[in-house]
Amino acid sequence: MADLKALKNKCIITVATTGAWPKKENNPNVPMTPAEIAEDIYDCWLAGAAVAHMHMRDENGNGTMDKNRFAETVELLRTNHPDCDIILNMTTSGDLNATDETRQIHLKELRPEMGSYDCGTMNWLHTSLFINHPKFLEELGMNMQEWGVKPEIEAFDPGMIANAAYYLKKGVLKAPLHFQFCMGCAGGIPGNMKNLIFMKETMDSLCPGSTWSCFGVGHSALEMLYGAVALGGHIRVGMEDNVMYSKGVLVDNNRQFVERAARVIKEFGREVATPAEARQILSLTK
Amino acid sequence: MSWGVNLMYYHCPSCDKKFKYAEDLIAYFGDQFGRCPVCDTMGQFEKNGARTLDDFEYEEIED
Repeated sequence: MADLKALKNKCIITVATTGAWPKKENNPNVPMTPAEIAEDIYDCWLAGAAVAHMHMRDENGNGTMDKNRFAETVELLRTNHPDCDIILNMTTSGDLNATDETRQIHLKELRPEMGSYDCGTMNWLHTSLFINHPKFLEELGMNMQEWGVKPEIEAFDPGMIANAAYYLKKGVLKAPLHFQFCMGCAGGIPGNMKNLIFMKETMDSLCPGSTWSCFGVGHSALEMLYGAVALGGHIRVGMEDNVMYSKGVLVDNNRQFVERAARVIKEFGREVATPAEARQILSLTK
Repeated sequence: MSWGVNLMYYHCPSCDKKFKYAEDLIAYFGDQFGRCPVCDTMGQFEKNGARTLDDFEYEEIED
């Protein structure tokens, strides 16, 4: 076990390559098929990503929770790149019409090290509902404990951190928790430094000892990147959250985002965490 | 699950200019949000949604 103090200076880069929403008409470079996603994850691992947050798409490019596509992607990654030790983090929210069962079955069958856990319900893009019913969250939390899948608690506002504290005290979630602060999403908390600090302080008071990461969509992407690095957190980048690299410039590939994050981390005086180091920071047991 | 910035598309009822604002800049623009960059008339909201490659007819107002 590496010295935990030494690990405090390490920053984990998570790459969210695809998401459930951006399509080729938003950016033609979004990886969509299992083969594209597997190669993209490998490329990002080479550039410094320690965690891959995975979403799948169907043949029409729509988000899907099809377990076979998750399995195919993992198989391609493992077969073509056996040297890649990146931590796999599979979404449980890849299709707003998925059932409670299809949102979890891939975790049960594939047993990734991590899975997303969206800790509350919200309006989605002012057009639909992103439902995470308490019954679902309690079932998912207990199942993830049984299956050895670490929840990445996605919090789109401070209330979702409070929900996580409740589930922690109830035994549905198990410490140490790991949060992903989702900043600047429509319907969620706006992405700025003041709000990021508020999210962190809320987490520190309700769930002390937790680790955290964040991302910002749109104009807050860089502010959240620099903020996470400065505040001692971890960072998520990728086309799930942003299809633009800078003003008026579409990103060519996810590697560009990872490389920029790595540069910022190093310039600040921190170090990019390897997957092995990330496993220790996140208390992953596999 | 996330999706990048939500854009709000408008046209100007005075000069017909088409333009768009990103929702995450509401605080930045304040009362100016939604106003026409040419004649300062409040725009008429048309739709909202994700950025697409073919929405360049709507000028993006960023600063």
